[in-house]
Amino acid sequence: MNGGPRLFSILRQGPYLIASIHTALDDSQLVRFQQDLVERIGSDRARGVVIDVAALDVLDSFASRTLRDIGEMARLRGAVTVIVGIQPDVAFAMVELGMDTGRVVTALDLEEGLAELDSCLAAPPAPRT
Amino acid sequence: MAAVEPVGSPGGDCGSADVAALIPLVRRIVASRVPDPATADDLVQETLTRVLAAAGRVEPGMLEPYAIVTARNVVTSMWRDQDRQRRHQHRVVDLRPPEAPDEDVLAREDRAAVAEALTRLSDRERATLLAHEVSGQDTRSLAAELGSTAGAVAAQLNRTRARLRVEYLLVSERVEPPTERCRPVLLAISSGDRRRQREVDAARHLLECGLCARLSEPLVGRGRSRDDAVRVAVRTDADVVAARQAAREVATRLGFSTTDVTLIATAVSEITRNIVRFADSGEVVVTELQEPRRGISIVARDAGPGIPDVDQALQDGYSTYHGLGLGLPGARRLMDEFAVVSETGRGTTVTMTKWRGEG
Ligand SMILES: [Zn+2]
Repeated sequence: MNGGPRLFSILRQGPYLIASIHTALDDSQLVRFQQDLVERIGSDRARGVVIDVAALDVLDSFASRTLRDIGEMARLRGAVTVIVGIQPDVAFAMVELGMDTGRVVTALDLEEGLAELDSCLAAPPAPRT
Repeated sequence: MAAVEPVGSPGGDCGSADVAALIPLVRRIVASRVPDPATADDLVQETLTRVLAAAGRVEPGMLEPYAIVTARNVVTSMWRDQDRQRRHQHRVVDLRPPEAPDEDVLAREDRAAVAEALTRLSDRERATLLAHEVSGQDTRSLAAELGSTAGAVAAQLNRTRARLRVEYLLVSERVEPPTERCRPVLLAISSGDRRRQREVDAARHLLECGLCARLSEPLVGRGRSRDDAVRVAVRTDADVVAARQAAREVATRLGFSTTDVTLIATAVSEITRNIVRFADSGEVVVTELQEPRRGISIVARDAGPGIPDVDQALQDGYSTYHGLGLGLPGARRLMDEFAVVSETGRGTTVTMTKWRGEG
């Protein structure tokens, strides 16, 4: 991505990070996105992350797994992840493909994603059974 | 797009929603497309049944978009069912070469020729073809009945169609082939199977046999011309994106719905990734199909190590365990027809097709 347009951006907003993907990413670009984001979660001590994937043309098995992994790694670092901007057609294809989206939380758009983070972090932790 | 009431249960799972909460949304979507309330009710029920059946596989936050697309699909497939009789009638007759004249007498002779050609297939070939083309049975359920795989059934259907085209031409020209080699040559040409064409030395036979030279023309010209094909060389990760975007463009041009375009692009992404991962290089060829219906054909081939056991690789679970990702079984679920040919040490070819619904 030397000199080319930015593929993604990671911005800080209060205790949260807002990660936006700007275009269709290939596998190695997705891996770089994952590395950068997880690093930022640590260095910024973020409590929540919103990932906007509206610009992704497909969420195939690799992209889905990458998002799930990001969610897991963020959780280990004490941050909640919300994915926003999954188009209905893309969601449908994910399910037909047989993707297990795991424990990733989704919301319609950025605003809802941030509201979701607020409510997740305000609520007391779910009782363990 | 209308949003469902967010179901935020404090202290519980973030983002959980349940199917009952989707009912007003599904009703709105169906009602805006289907005026008759009784029909609309049926379709709402069918949508909810499908969503419920999938609920275990769908992460709660994904239920809403899944329900939206399912509702649209249920409505579309109702329109399609109403049309099925006319459409399938059409499809059998569509086996004619496109330039066939539509005068009534000729049309009648033509149907007679198709009927005669059908009698020349084996019982099993004919039963399978008619079940698929006329009754609309899909390759997966055919495979279950035949104790085979959907890929094998799709490949068999392609061979049967190729044979039917050959027999149709012979019937309508009222000729019997002069040599033993004619039928194998015509069949190899009709099915577009390059390797088989080399094996039977088709090019040489066409030089020697006037009849086959003449009959091969409509067989070669049938439905596809080279101009309709888009070829993407595949070596790197970036080529995976290029291949799926090429497929997306062709599918959009062919008038596929945005849902289908996304399914096709996703399937292409999966099979192209396999080339990058397991072979050094390969190619993806995307072709427009006009016959027997509009559709899109995608061929992904490589000269990699090959897959030792294709049937096994097509099973869910196997591939994830062995690191192939969801590639093959996942992509197969997204397409109408799917076939894998692999030879250890020589490479793999995946052929997949999606047909366009009437629209
Ligand atoms: Zn001949």
